[in-house]
Amino acid sequence: MSDQPLNTVGKSELRRDGLSHVTGKTQYIDDIQFPDMLYLKMVRSPLHHARILGIDFSEAEKVPGFVRAFTYKDVPKNLYTILCLIGVGPDEEPVLAEKEVLYKGEQIAAIVAQSEEAAIEAAARVKVDLEELPAVFDVEEALKPGAPILKPWGTNYFVYEGHPFRRVRYGNIEQGFTQADYIVEGCYEPKPIEHAPLETTGCVAKPEANGRITVYTNTQALYFSMDNTALILNVPFNKLHFVGGTVGGGFGGKVDVIVEPIAALAAMHTGHPVKYLYTREEEFHVSSTRVAYRIYFKDGVSKDGHIVARQVTSYADSGAYNRHTPYAVTKHAANISGPYDIPNVHIDAHCVYTNRVPTSAMRGFGVTSASFATELQMDKIARKVGMDPFEIRLLNAYRNGDMRPYQKVVGDATLVEVIQSAADMAHHPLGERFQAMNSWDRANSPARPEPVSAQKES
Amino acid sequence: MTTQAYFRPRSLAEALGLLDEHGPAMLVMAGGTLAMPLINKGVSRPEKVMGLRQAGLDYVRPVDGGVHIGAAASLARLRAESDMPLLAEAVKNVAGWAVQNMGTAGGNLFAPPPAGDLAVALLALDAQVKVASLKRGERLVPLAEFYTGFLTNCLAADELVVEIQVPRPAGKAVLLKYGRLYTNTPAIVTVAVHLVAENGRTRDARVALNAVGPHPLRARQAEIALTGFSLDTAAIAAASRAAAAECEPYTDPIASAEYRRRMTGVFVQRALAQVAA
Amino acid sequence: MASKIVTFTLNGRETEVMVKPLTTLAKALREKLGFTATKCGCYEGNCGSCTVILNGEPVLSCILPVEEVEGQNVLTLEGITPTEGLHPLQQAFHENFAVQCGFCSPGMLMISKALLDKNPHPTKAEIAEALSGNLCRCTGYDPIIAAVQQVAAGSNGNQGGSHE
Repeated sequence: MSDQPLNTVGKSELRRDGLSHVTGKTQYIDDIQFPDMLYLKMVRSPLHHARILGIDFSEAEKVPGFVRAFTYKDVPKNLYTILCLIGVGPDEEPVLAEKEVLYKGEQIAAIVAQSEEAAIEAAARVKVDLEELPAVFDVEEALKPGAPILKPWGTNYFVYEGHPFRRVRYGNIEQGFTQADYIVEGCYEPKPIEHAPLETTGCVAKPEANGRITVYTNTQALYFSMDNTALILNVPFNKLHFVGGTVGGGFGGKVDVIVEPIAALAAMHTGHPVKYLYTREEEFHVSSTRVAYRIYFKDGVSKDGHIVARQVTSYADSGAYNRHTPYAVTKHAANISGPYDIPNVHIDAHCVYTNRVPTSAMRGFGVTSASFATELQMDKIARKVGMDPFEIRLLNAYRNGDMRPYQKVVGDATLVEVIQSAADMAHHPLGERFQAMNSWDRANSPARPEPVSAQKES
Repeated sequence: MTTQAYFRPRSLAEALGLLDEHGPAMLVMAGGTLAMPLINKGVSRPEKVMGLRQAGLDYVRPVDGGVHIGAAASLARLRAESDMPLLAEAVKNVAGWAVQNMGTAGGNLFAPPPAGDLAVALLALDAQVKVASLKRGERLVPLAEFYTGFLTNCLAADELVVEIQVPRPAGKAVLLKYGRLYTNTPAIVTVAVHLVAENGRTRDARVALNAVGPHPLRARQAEIALTGFSLDTAAIAAASRAAAAECEPYTDPIASAEYRRRMTGVFVQRALAQVAA
Repeated sequence: MASKIVTFTLNGRETEVMVKPLTTLAKALREKLGFTATKCGCYEGNCGSCTVILNGEPVLSCILPVEEVEGQNVLTLEGITPTEGLHPLQQAFHENFAVQCGFCSPGMLMISKALLDKNPHPTKAEIAEALSGNLCRCTGYDPIIAAVQQVAAGSNGNQGGSHE
């Protein structure tokens, strides 16, 4: 094998779109203009939870420049869920609300007009007759008997293979607690975060002469958006041509499929290009946020600092609809025991629906929330046991060959070395036996407790 | 509706004439930093708008040690040309550079809390506002009487703010703004104090606050706690407590009412300590 | 009131545009004249993406009626981009990874140019204060400040660029 010179590895590469960005030549959605372009503005629910009794477009239609209004009746397949493409179901989110709205800001009707001002004016004049319903905003309240039920299958939670939450079971949690010297509890509540990209969510859908629809979009998920749009419009996938790639800030906030289906439908029906671009206010109020969680920990800890049992009950606030949250909760459940070798683990991770704005993906979704909780909890444990926070992590860190609670064996672990490097960079001295630890054996560690079931067998 | 007319009068007389003719349905703006966002969003849909940039109100005139500021003088101009450090400090804390270029001294009086910090400095300096109408001519209103409530003021429908008059500051003044960021940030609380001392005691005290009430306001109880006393730790503590008690803070996404109240006490104390030093 | 014609100097060239009353400079530039380098992130004067230079001073074009620039000098990002190569600020932004999604970049470049034209050797604090009205959600600001410092350190007073 010859030694080839490395041309790119180990070198800093300038962005291949950097020149375009600094000269202002990059095209973003709002830069797209067509002479006969129409503008789409959405009529949104002013209430958190309501029944739709009727919609009156008569005043809107009088606005000069008004072209058309769309309701759920115009959408070929109105119910969808973004991750249906990877088997996550059921379809539960409407493109345009049918009989009920589940969050303030939910899409009810789309107005298309010849100018942005006319679309804003016409949308403001649509009269929606709503019957307000009781709303629920708290994840635990939403699971109590008597809470308003938000989903057609009669509950406020996502079902994971027949279970009301994502479950992780490893060892024997009750016996694990009996082996503990301390019980350390904690509750951690990371809040929703708005991505606030500088470029708002949007697209321009354009009907082409050959019958295809071109959709220029700033989605982060081009194939998700194209495939879901095709399913919603009930057209063959090759009827659509999605053009994307330049995202003016995403961070997970542009992975939901929201603007493209209705804009493409409007383009199909009007025969004109249609722009649907969120205002800054819509981006803040209506676009999805990072998932908020309420996470309860109950850990059993031995006096030498080992976590011998971890029980976590976690509630994710999905808001009104799925989006990416059911998937996030699966990742969350896997990661909420932390990168630590714990012999007895019991996780119940709920994905709960409330009348809040739907939550979805944001950088490291499902896992960042878990890290927030596990590491605050670890510091709490360190204080309880009287151990250094770096050293207690080194003690509990997983090594190669360990079995994770979700039944996967660890390989290629480097956690111990990373913690040691961090301590070094922080000028934080470590005890000798902690400096000597590594990721492939426990030569320098005291024997750790075995999972209770393994003990029974021996 | 889309705006049908945008008037740009070339003199105050022309502006007053237009206001008299078109009445309160016409939106008046100078820099546009408050009005244009609302118009862009479709929240405000005025049929007619009048812009005051060309109406002869763009000046900063030193007068007897004080300053007369045209209502349409930009905040940046005020910061650059006024020799009153308190006014420069107030403008420095208003938004970013471009907003300081576009926003005006008069316009900032209409910015609702937690914005509108120029008024805090002006209140501390006993500023007066000259307002004018076509039919009744000009009158002077102490700024302390200008605000009547949240987003309301003493202007009649046919009146314009034309000038802000600031007398020569007689004592030491300090302005402190507390926000979540160092710059370009809405206020948690803004404090301005102006103290005139005589024979080792405070003869006149002005304590002005913003973002802890419906409009920029004078903390009268705090002023009473200072007047006649030397500016020592006890007087400062009493004034801070009084300011915290008398303000009417509200909760918004920036800060809770409780936090605003506590920070009012802290920053009044700090401002007074700076004056004493 | 009918539409009116506004005449102003744009990037060194006399330019006419016909607009309805109260049309913003941003809209006139982007939709009427096709100069789309100036971006609009909020349409309410809060994010700074729409920053252009008017008579040497930075202003927010999304809230400025274009009638207000009648007879005046407007400079946009297109106006500082040379026919070949890059303006020193553009080069520095590119090299310092001060650009990620690129949406804030035109505004950041214009406010930086306005700063260096007035103050060729600003301190870090002065750079931060001057740029404080421009928001960026990608870079964390440090690379942008580093880029401006790099140009400030390397400049001999000659900023180059066209149509100033």
